[in-house]
Amino acid sequence: MATTAPGNLLMTTIDRAARWARTRSMFPASFGLACCAIEMMATGAAHYDLGRFGMEVFRASPRQSDLMVVAGRVSQKMAPVLRQVYDQMPDPKWVISMGACASTGGMFNNYALVQGVDQVVPVDIYVPGCPPGPQSLMHGILTLHDKIMKGEINN
Amino acid sequence: MPGPCQIAVSCRHVACTASGGLGVAMGEAGPEHVTITIDGVSHEVPAGALVIKAAQDRGTYIPRFCWHERMNPVGMCRMCLVEVQGPRGPMLVTACTNNVADGMVVDTRGPTVKKAQEAVLEFLLANHPLDCPVCDKGGECPLQDQAFSHGPGESRFVEIKRNFAKPIPISDLVLLDRERCILCARCTRFSDEISGDPLIEFKSRANVTEVNTFPDLPFSSYFSGNTIQICPVGALTSAQYRFRARPWDLQMVESSGMHDTAHPRLSVQVSQNEVLRLVGVDNDATNHGWLSDKDRFGFQYLTSEERLTMPLVRQDGQLVETTWAEALDRVAERIGLIRDEDGGEVFAVIGGGHGTNEDAYAISKFARVVLETNNVDARLDDALSSHFLAATADRGLIADIDGADTILLWGPDLKEEHPTLYLRVRRAAQELGVRLVVIHPRATGLDDRASMKLTYRPGGGFALLDEVADGKHPELRQALSADRVVAIVGQASFADGPQLAESVAAYVRNKAGSARILPLARRGNIFGALDMGLAPDLLPGRVAPDHAGRAALAESWGEPPAARGKDTRAMLEGIDSGEIRFLLLVGADPVRDVPDPRRALLAMDSAEYVVSIDLFLNDSNREADVVLPAAGFAEKDGTVTNLEGRVQKVNVIAPIPGQGRPDWAILDDLAERAGRPIGLANAESIAKEISEVAPAYTGITWDHLEWEARDGAVVPLSGSQPLSHIPVALKGDNAPTAPLLLHVGRTLYDDGVMLRHSPSLRPLARGAVVHLNPEDAKKAGAQDGHPVRVVTSHGEGEFSAILDEGTPEGVVYVPFNQPGGAPLGTDAVVRVTAVGR
Amino acid sequence: MGILSELIKGLRVTGGIMIRTIAGNELVTTEYPKEMRVKPQRFHGRHVLNRYPDGMEKCIGCELCAGACPAQCIYVRGEDNDPDNPKSPGERFGYVYEINMLRCIFCGLCVEACPTEAITMTHLFEFSTTNREDAIYTKETLLMDRRGSVPHMFPDDELVDLDELDSADGWVRATAPSGVAAYQGIEMWQGTPGPGDWSPEPTQEERDRLSRDRTSDG
Repeated sequence: MATTAPGNLLMTTIDRAARWARTRSMFPASFGLACCAIEMMATGAAHYDLGRFGMEVFRASPRQSDLMVVAGRVSQKMAPVLRQVYDQMPDPKWVISMGACASTGGMFNNYALVQGVDQVVPVDIYVPGCPPGPQSLMHGILTLHDKIMKGEINN
Repeated sequence: MPGPCQIAVSCRHVACTASGGLGVAMGEAGPEHVTITIDGVSHEVPAGALVIKAAQDRGTYIPRFCWHERMNPVGMCRMCLVEVQGPRGPMLVTACTNNVADGMVVDTRGPTVKKAQEAVLEFLLANHPLDCPVCDKGGECPLQDQAFSHGPGESRFVEIKRNFAKPIPISDLVLLDRERCILCARCTRFSDEISGDPLIEFKSRANVTEVNTFPDLPFSSYFSGNTIQICPVGALTSAQYRFRARPWDLQMVESSGMHDTAHPRLSVQVSQNEVLRLVGVDNDATNHGWLSDKDRFGFQYLTSEERLTMPLVRQDGQLVETTWAEALDRVAERIGLIRDEDGGEVFAVIGGGHGTNEDAYAISKFARVVLETNNVDARLDDALSSHFLAATADRGLIADIDGADTILLWGPDLKEEHPTLYLRVRRAAQELGVRLVVIHPRATGLDDRASMKLTYRPGGGFALLDEVADGKHPELRQALSADRVVAIVGQASFADGPQLAESVAAYVRNKAGSARILPLARRGNIFGALDMGLAPDLLPGRVAPDHAGRAALAESWGEPPAARGKDTRAMLEGIDSGEIRFLLLVGADPVRDVPDPRRALLAMDSAEYVVSIDLFLNDSNREADVVLPAAGFAEKDGTVTNLEGRVQKVNVIAPIPGQGRPDWAILDDLAERAGRPIGLANAESIAKEISEVAPAYTGITWDHLEWEARDGAVVPLSGSQPLSHIPVALKGDNAPTAPLLLHVGRTLYDDGVMLRHSPSLRPLARGAVVHLNPEDAKKAGAQDGHPVRVVTSHGEGEFSAILDEGTPEGVVYVPFNQPGGAPLGTDAVVRVTAVGR
Repeated sequence: MGILSELIKGLRVTGGIMIRTIAGNELVTTEYPKEMRVKPQRFHGRHVLNRYPDGMEKCIGCELCAGACPAQCIYVRGEDNDPDNPKSPGERFGYVYEINMLRCIFCGLCVEACPTEAITMTHLFEFSTTNREDAIYTKETLLMDRRGSVPHMFPDDELVDLDELDSADGWVRATAPSGVAAYQGIEMWQGTPGPGDWSPEPTQEERDRLSRDRTSDG
């Protein structure tokens, strides 16, 4: 559900607080599709520790998550599933397209793969790499935080 | 081992027979066979063949640089060394200069041969720079490939390589890099033996030998592009293609060149949706792999900024962009109105000679069914009669040239108008010993190979034909009474009129034992267009629009109109007089194209409603009411028919810019909106419909052309008439007699709309020039390079004079449609005065 | 009872390790935006286009990288070098050079294909974008400046550590053709002189003139 906060002087701090709150505990939906998912798991583990950003809980249920990290190649058959998961996520929600295959199909320019997951769901952040390392993914997450902090609250 | 001279001489003959044309065309039995052993496997090969060719045909590739199948061997590069068991033991010989002999044992990959090949490559690479990454040939380079497959891997030469200034432009189209040259003599042999303008040669001797042009004489051959294609290294590169792409990012498809009616086969190569180059494809029937520079380089108009991308309609006197629906609805509404008021007689359709057969069929059907008229013409008043062009029973094949006893060429300068045919005729006269008779008002490109050359004054063709018929030229009569005569006839000069060529053909037909006629006409697919019925007196499949012909069509078309239509000239006159109210131009620019543009200009000014389907805004459709963007070469699939009736498939590979559509799609949509659908779904289904409707095209489907007849299928001459109905010689009493007579002829490069938008060829047009015999120039007070005023009863203009021995006294030659040149019309009587005196 | 003792036994291990990591400085977590893990020497990060020490571009626009690329993410177009103001040694330079970082699979085949070591890979990995256009790196972004660092698409982004470039292997390889720093400053690595370094042979006309001069002198 989109929240509409009145855009006046008094409300700016609340606005900021809401944005901050959103960035501090994003629950990712686990959507590991291929090799990128290994790096995504590594990002959650001790050496990189996504818990530092309050997002160590990968939810198995889309209804409890805010962020979908599409990690890996999306086949044509997976596309409707992916869309359904996305639709089941509550607003506000974000999508990170992780790695070359999810973003553009990568080297698999063929009939079996969706050439970019943004054909199926709106993507907020594209993370290049094949696969992107944990730090690349974290950079993507931080960029997303940045985007949320700078963006409209009812976005 | 015979010396190199002997080899070269003896092989000249071999090359001729080995390449096939003569023996096959003359209907002789195939050559005898001998048995040779190549790498331990014994093969039956034709006697007299070259070892390299015999091995290649049996699947053994012998590396080579200088040998080319279509040229005489020289043995320059030594790359094709093979070991042959001779009477004195095994020895290394060049496979390209030795003929097979019975029992010959050839080794192409033993240790001795391998060592020789490695040594040759090491020597070739001693001076060849290793700049393959920047070289245009890199990736498709025979030297690169063979250094990889047969080379030693590393070189012992550590010395500094030769260093030249590079690249040097040796013409507007060709760049020369002498560092890369390996002195194989392919380019020099091509320009000497094949194209007949030896403008590139070796100079100096021994280790300082280099290939170059003569000082102050550019490599201005019409066929220079072929040297780029056959160069086995990157020494000759194309200025147009330079650094545009690499071989691995090119997509390619085979198609036919559409600048002349011979339809040379070529490969269209595209990168990033842009046609970047055309490369000749070896095809026995038409071009032997050669292309003229116009065919090779004349495609840049496709990506011109000025291409039409949106339908245009006239609003408040201006052409403004609009949608297809809006533009077509307007035209359809107007067609309905005019048809209801005046019937089909007031419609006219000009053009269609540049498109595919499918386009032409759509135009033909649209005109007959929707416009209810026979006023269609694909010839723009500059060609012979449609029956003669399309439906002559004695029409020959291009390959007949090779087996002829005599070739009579009475028509335009082949080098200027039909370069592909020019190379075939040249080869026949030079290599195959065919007697060539050239009759033309002035010097032509084939004069040096002609065994007989006659000139006549413009307009005096009939007089000459009368003389020949009266026995004044016994040698010519004798030449024509040979067994196999091929007459290549066309309109030599605007002053001659079209009937002359037909009379010549009829005369030859009556005279010779078995005469074959090759009629010449301009516009790439004119023969296909006529076969599809784009003439006032023809229906698809060369059917006359008489009762029987129309009845055959009635089933699929409904009854076509009965009245005989008007040809281009009559249509243009009709527009002027108000008889024609609606003009549809399909890829036609009459103002620039008809011999007498005054009439076209008048017509365009007074036309009531003009619709043009074209690639560009040109002088004719600038004032049109609706202009619709069309698809060009390589932007649509289809079939085309060449001058011998050979149907070939042309293929799509590039997208149409903007919202352009193929002609047939536009007309189908328009017909639908005008309430008379013509039911054309796609190009392939049109081809199928043609094969059902047009009798001559039965069985010619895309499947057939793509899988069974890769070289094209010759449509039978069924439905054609013998030449006997044409009167042989009209008395040439009315030949003009003025002291100076005007000969207007076409040149390869002119100011046509395609070349005008092709930046590399545009500067090659000659400009407004007039060729004068030095004697005439003296009388007129004209000097070389100075302006003169040329006046005829149809027009006048200022031209730059060229003093030219090739133009006989009393003849004034003006190339047609040149940038800056004024139209002079068809009248032969001319006056020339020097300007500024 | 037994359960409690087992629990305490287990928690003792946990607690011990906790105390050791906190007190004994054995924390494995890298605080990513503040500190970075050192990338391995041959890490495949984003590409750079290198220059020769004299400032000339190494890229000659030969498109071998584009040909080698399995993901077809490189688009190159060559162009004639202006002889008076060349961008790269030789006749041709890379006029257009684009890499779609989202297509790129960082396999390094372009680096291997490159005949002039013009394209190399750095340790840079921070280039997430919010839209696809930003992921197409043009020559402007890829080409190293003369100092040896590459412009970053988002120089204002505080998340990007431009200093890291100094330790990037791209810089090392860019300035030393064979990857050894000792080569720095040496023009080329092969014995034969490069194009444009020496004057061409005299033409036939010049040769004739020379011999004529010689005879007239003698």
